Amino acid sequence: MKLSLRDISVDFRGANGGRLAALGPISLDVAEGEFVCIVGPSGCGKSTLIRVVAGLQAPTTGIVEADGESISRPSSATAIMFQDANLMPWRSVQDNIALPLELAGVPKAARYATVAELLPQLHLEDFAGAYPAELSGGMAQRVALGRVIVQHPRLLLLDEPFGALDALTREKLSLELLQVWRGSGQTVVMVTHNINEAVLLADRVIVMSSRPGRTVADISIDLPRPRRVEQLFCEAFLILAREVRSAIEKEAA
Amino acid sequence: MTRILALALILLAFVSPAVRAQEALQDERILLTFVPNIQFSPFYLGIQDGHFAEHGFNVTLEHLQEPEVLDLVAAGHADFGIVSGEQVILARAQARDVVYVFEWFQKYPVGLVVQGHNGSGISEISELRDRKVGIPGRFGASYSGLTALLHSAGMTESDIELTEIGFHAPDVFCSKVVSAAVVYINNEPLQILNRSLAGECSDLGMPDVFPVAEQVDLVSNGLIVHSDMLERETEKVQNMVSALGQALKSAIENPARAYLVSLEYVEALPNEVEYVEALQQLSMEQEAFLDTQPSREDIAQSRLDMRGQLGQMFDFDMLEQFDVLLNSIDLWDAEVLGFSELGSWESMLATLELLEFLDGSEVDLTASFTNVFIMGSSE
Amino acid sequence: MLLLLLVWQLITAFGLVSAFLLPPPAQVLDAFVEAVSSGLLARHTLTTLEEMFFGLLLGVSIGLSLGYLIAKAPLLEFILSPIIVAFQSTPIVAYAPLLIIWLGSGVESKIVTTAVIVFFPMLVNTIAGIRAVPPQLQDLMHSLNARPWQSFRHLELPSALPVILAGLRTSATLAVIGAVVGEFVSSGSGLGHLVTLARNLYDTPLVFVSVFTMTFIALSLYGAVALLEWRLLAWRRRSSAS
Repeated sequence: MKLSLRDISVDFRGANGGRLAALGPISLDVAEGEFVCIVGPSGCGKSTLIRVVAGLQAPTTGIVEADGESISRPSSATAIMFQDANLMPWRSVQDNIALPLELAGVPKAARYATVAELLPQLHLEDFAGAYPAELSGGMAQRVALGRVIVQHPRLLLLDEPFGALDALTREKLSLELLQVWRGSGQTVVMVTHNINEAVLLADRVIVMSSRPGRTVADISIDLPRPRRVEQLFCEAFLILAREVRSAIEKEAA
Repeated sequence: MTRILALALILLAFVSPAVRAQEALQDERILLTFVPNIQFSPFYLGIQDGHFAEHGFNVTLEHLQEPEVLDLVAAGHADFGIVSGEQVILARAQARDVVYVFEWFQKYPVGLVVQGHNGSGISEISELRDRKVGIPGRFGASYSGLTALLHSAGMTESDIELTEIGFHAPDVFCSKVVSAAVVYINNEPLQILNRSLAGECSDLGMPDVFPVAEQVDLVSNGLIVHSDMLERETEKVQNMVSALGQALKSAIENPARAYLVSLEYVEALPNEVEYVEALQQLSMEQEAFLDTQPSREDIAQSRLDMRGQLGQMFDFDMLEQFDVLLNSIDLWDAEVLGFSELGSWESMLATLELLEFLDGSEVDLTASFTNVFIMGSSE
Repeated sequence: MLLLLLVWQLITAFGLVSAFLLPPPAQVLDAFVEAVSSGLLARHTLTTLEEMFFGLLLGVSIGLSLGYLIAKAPLLEFILSPIIVAFQSTPIVAYAPLLIIWLGSGVESKIVTTAVIVFFPMLVNTIAGIRAVPPQLQDLMHSLNARPWQSFRHLELPSALPVILAGLRTSATLAVIGAVVGEFVSSGSGLGHLVTLARNLYDTPLVFVSVFTMTFIALSLYGAVALLEWRLLAWRRRSSAS
């Protein structure tokens, strides 16, 4: 899916009745099948941007177009993954993954068949009947990832999906995500704090200014795919990572 | 210090006779049913005019449910209570050792009120067949009374459609939900009549009343004590019976005074200045009349005269509670106040057996009541 | 429980209290057998159960639906809450006589007293439960294009269920009180009526039998809701075990 953001800005109503500019104006184009990471200081409006693209938040100004059509409400072609796994505690792992299918009216047997196929890929085959409270943070995020995969989205929005995990789990899950994405033709927009993660995953890294967030740098990552952990230590990677870092630091200064 | 002591002693000297007089009076609770009402005016008179004090009692009144009154007396938590006669029989059948020592209501106060002749066409009890009849509940004096009344016409409860309406007979009756209602004949028919006159009671006209007492003599409300008191505290029981006899007599003889005294005890009794003044005037005239030693018949006539005079000055509505009092006096008055007939106990026992309320237990009626204290007080 | 029975037996055996005030356990058991075999107890228990059933049905469904509406529309709460609070803070015994005059002394008035008494815990807990639905999960449902009914069925209801069931547990025990209060005021049948009847016949063992039956009904109902919670909220048990 091709994505086009034109002069998007979002204001919130402040506590004292005044208006608080949270985002933008910002413009951004994402090509079909492109993996874009957005980095920027805390509170710069990255998550708000994701919510606008997801159709969960109406922009104060500007328009969002997906394949030339303007987005005003959530679309079934778009899936979103949050920082928190955001699972329903009363649903088992398989029922959480199957939720989008159930809402779409897929019969029970077909739902479970789809989930059963997916579970090994997520390393969750032994946890189909477990409840979210019985899972570790990484497992819970894998369930959330599974819930996104079954939607077969053409646009995948990721709002710091691994932010709450430890470094090793985070790396592992990032690469698993890449495997899922590869060859799917999905367009991905991902918000992250982590520069290495952004450079390792993305085709392009967008650096945003502090609030209200605007684009301050747009850096193409032309590292070869498929990406591997070893690339974290090659020179091309380090140069790109430094470029992203200096763009952020310039903005923070 | 010494001065304060001296002062205290002087004060004590002044106060002590009064204290001693108070101490001489024994605190005594009398347990009643229902709520404060003009029908309890003999008790108010007994307190206000010193009939109880004269016999050594400082009486306080308390209103409870009938079974509670009886059980508190039976358990020794209170010495005196007022309950209906059938309660004594029922309770004695269940191991409560209480004795009835003074019959307050000589005539059974329960009856059946029906829509006037033009309304219902009921002129005999037998015409109630298959009609809807309201009753407070399947217990107490109302239920026994109705059963006896139906029995006198050769009927039973199953011949009518009996429906429990709580103590709301005037409301239910006026809204024509029932063709007849079991009521206390000294009170509710008057309320219905007054509503009817005020146009609040559909088009029912004058209600007709069938008193149970016209068909059968059933023992009614009276004073009970624990049987242990008969021997252990004979004097106390005798004093209470005598005091109550005196108070009851004074209420019967001077209803104007009984009404005035009740004003302090009963909520919402009409007490307009002109009304109170008229009653005070009538009360004084009645005292003068009583000094002439009139006969019982003359006194009954004087009550009618009193009502006649009030009727010329005040409307029916204001006089309702005074009329309740006069109606009640008709149920109280007798040649010998407090005297209980064995026959009325036998009729009651027969009624309770009809109701299968006794499940086979034997009740010795002669032990249920005694007239010895009535004889004692008349001497 | 056994200890209570023992103390009771001892008190009566040593004649510390007159038998007509506290009959010995054996006498109450006799009265129970008698009341069961004559069908008396079954008849009155059925009436009370009928009143409780329909009262619960009415009170719970109104409490649930009104609670849901109020949770969704704060304006409605602003309008309704003074009425509801005033209504609730008045003891039911105070207006039970009014209900009897308006609705008659049949089961209808007791169904209403029961409904009134069970309504409030359901209302309050439904409001609390629905308001506590996590906003992130609402976002999720929104992003999944869930229809309002689907959001209710798959998110709001299961999320609020623990709180709603806690309300139901309170309501279930209160239902007995609602029915019996109505019966005490006026009735021709039911366990409350049986107490009045037994009191007026000075049959203390039968009073005990009626009271124990009420306690038993209340306990059973409480147990039934607990069982329902155990079944419906199995995930919580698993979750807290880990």
